[in-house]
Amino acid sequence: MRSRKRLSALVAVGVAAVMLSACSGGSEGGDGSSSGSLVLGSPLAPTTFAANDVSWANEAPYIQAVYDTLLRATPEGEIEPWLATEWSYDDERTVLTMALRDDVVFTDGTPFSAETAAQSVLGFKGGTSPYAFLLGRVADATAIDATTLQITLSEPDPGLLHGLTTAAGVQGSPAAFDSPEAQTSPVGSGPYLLDTAATVVGSSYVFTRNPDYWAPETQYYDDLTVTVLDNAQAQMSALQGDQVDVVNLLDSSAADQLEASGFVLHPAELDVRSLLLFDRDGQLVPELADVRVRQAIAHAFDRDAILQALADGRGTVTGQMFGESSPAFDPGLDQRYPYDPDRARQLLAEAGLANGFTLPLPQIPTGTTIQYDLIRQYLGDVGVTVELTQVPLQNAIADLTQAKWSAGLISLLQPATDWETAQTFLTEDATWNPFHRPDATVEQLVATIQQGTESEAAEAGRRLNEYVVEQAWFVPWYRVQSVIVSDSDIQVERQNDNIFPYLWNITPAQ
Amino acid sequence: MLRYVLRRLGRGIVLVAVVAVTTFFLLYAGSGDIARTILGDAATEETVLRKQQELGLDRPVSVQFGEWALHAVQGDLGRSWFSGQPVVDAIGSRVAVTLALVVGATLVSALVAVVLGVLAARTGGWVDRVVQAGSVIGIAIPGFLLAIGLVFTFAVTLGWFRPTGYVEFARSPGGWLASIVLPVTALAVSAIAGVAQQVRGSMLDVQRQDWVRTLRSRGLPERRVVYLHVLRSAAGPALSVLAVQFIALIGGAVFVEQIFAIPGLGQVAVQATGRGDIPLVLGLVIVVTVIVVVVNLVVDLLQGWLNPKVRRS
Repeated sequence: MRSRKRLSALVAVGVAAVMLSACSGGSEGGDGSSSGSLVLGSPLAPTTFAANDVSWANEAPYIQAVYDTLLRATPEGEIEPWLATEWSYDDERTVLTMALRDDVVFTDGTPFSAETAAQSVLGFKGGTSPYAFLLGRVADATAIDATTLQITLSEPDPGLLHGLTTAAGVQGSPAAFDSPEAQTSPVGSGPYLLDTAATVVGSSYVFTRNPDYWAPETQYYDDLTVTVLDNAQAQMSALQGDQVDVVNLLDSSAADQLEASGFVLHPAELDVRSLLLFDRDGQLVPELADVRVRQAIAHAFDRDAILQALADGRGTVTGQMFGESSPAFDPGLDQRYPYDPDRARQLLAEAGLANGFTLPLPQIPTGTTIQYDLIRQYLGDVGVTVELTQVPLQNAIADLTQAKWSAGLISLLQPATDWETAQTFLTEDATWNPFHRPDATVEQLVATIQQGTESEAAEAGRRLNEYVVEQAWFVPWYRVQSVIVSDSDIQVERQNDNIFPYLWNITPAQ
Repeated sequence: MLRYVLRRLGRGIVLVAVVAVTTFFLLYAGSGDIARTILGDAATEETVLRKQQELGLDRPVSVQFGEWALHAVQGDLGRSWFSGQPVVDAIGSRVAVTLALVVGATLVSALVAVVLGVLAARTGGWVDRVVQAGSVIGIAIPGFLLAIGLVFTFAVTLGWFRPTGYVEFARSPGGWLASIVLPVTALAVSAIAGVAQQVRGSMLDVQRQDWVRTLRSRGLPERRVVYLHVLRSAAGPALSVLAVQFIALIGGAVFVEQIFAIPGLGQVAVQATGRGDIPLVLGLVIVVTVIVVVVNLVVDLLQGWLNPKVRRS
């Protein structure tokens, strides 16, 4: 009898201990404002911390925690000084001269200088970052003196300054470039230090305040944790259990429920969901060489219904690849191809395809097949037979960008500038021009964006957008709404061209 | 006995080698353009080629396998293509987490299942019917649904436990317990149901045998007959079911670790497989195979200890 009582007491103490520790664990991990700590929920872990190879987008907060960039961008995309305090181009816009700060020291004790900056620029250009292309026109980088960096370009690059606000501007200590631990132990000059002992690679990254940071006024928290929450359920549990302060929501249909629970939503439209008609010359599907056929396809879709069906209405119907923050964006072009199956059939008949044709399409597994059912249904209505073939998820990007398919359905980031939009989708070398088809009009207008005056470039951008919409190489459906969710005691400002808010724009609410 | 153990270990090593070779070539055959997958759509072809060279993917698969195998036998399973972390470290830091869940769930399920199975077999009547109905429900409820229900009820609503994450035992024993109670429960329920059914059936079978009647007729106390002789004899089949459940629990840990965002083998397996991180997937397959071999060996030894007839055979 006595032993049974003792057992009951032990069980009771155990349960109490668990509950107490659970309660203390919750506040320990999550309540950023009161403890001076910030916990971010990221949908993915960083690929690498090696300064020459870093990525961006969802990985930006990891990188911004430990590294500084030469320049910074405001949420609207305006370039601001950071490690570089002033900069100017020569008349040909092929030599960029930057004045650098002289009070910055890397965490290994190496002083930041024009020499280290030149090594960082060249290292990134020759590295394996997905964003190495941002420095593709850099011919050389040299130190003029201790605080003056000169970057020489092979030709003008209107995207360079913006690139230097992102991964391409990351400054690491050259002493760490060849270290075998470079991928997991960053040596930068950023506001935080990665606590490798407390970090579980791939799951939870713990950062502590850098006590020697040169701009302490931008260190809003004592410590920072970035937790990998790669599925919607874990995100919801962590948010509702007060374990995380800011999350990039993977399932935006949960947004309303979270808002009702007191969380603050920060929506933005950065990606465009489109059917891309790659085969502009008709190499795989000859019918696609005819602009009337491409325009017929553009007329075949009821974009409002598609937006409702696929995203519950969260997003905005569009007809152009240029994003809202891009100077060339023209709201009028969104209505260039209204849903008009009769017009689509008429255009196909004019192209000699009254009996339709077959369009092979890769089906990428994304958890739902609704989008492919819709494509088949809408194109089938106007006489185009869609032939779907399953493509493994891990091969999808490679297959789409290697001219294996004449068309593909995908969501892509809409860059914030005309130049980057052209480089991403339109030029001969563009990733999303996988058949690398040159086009004289595109090349001429892009050259003006590259080399013309500001007003000439803006006009060229507008004309380029019109031309591309008219050619119907892309059949955009809608701009996808992405939602960042935060606690009400956190203030978040979203970047106009990055999926995750920049670290310094996540601050305690006033 | 030693020869038996060595023979089993030898077979296990051959099995691990066969699994490793098969997995290597299967993964490489279906891997596609790994460098492009790692770098995404923004990277240029030039950068992709550089990445291929960096990873050694520009060499013939046979050469890559030879190099990997040479390092693997020395305990070096390479580095993750995505994080750059040594595979041994990536798995080493997570294997303890998954084992804590799986061993915890196994112990809980063994304990609860034996109690329920014995109770049902001994008592009969409505208790038996409740245990049987509960077992059917336990097996039928999808594990992920149960996990979500547990999180919502006990972590989000009541705030008794951590909804996500894992606390190391060394850092905080109470925190550790709070972080594994719900995942272990989610994992254990179906195992309890399966093993309880097995214990109940075996107990009923054994109780009907002549030697049990003989023990009773000799005047041995009922408790001694049931808990020493009948249960020991019935434990063999239950142990086999428990061993199968242990292996199944490793699989179950995949979804539990996802829902609870626990940094175990399941979470890293999902990440590595989705990304095509072949060195990490290979390492995981090898580690899980080793765990399966060891568990089976331990179960066979336990069977021998429980039942001398098994030892002799």
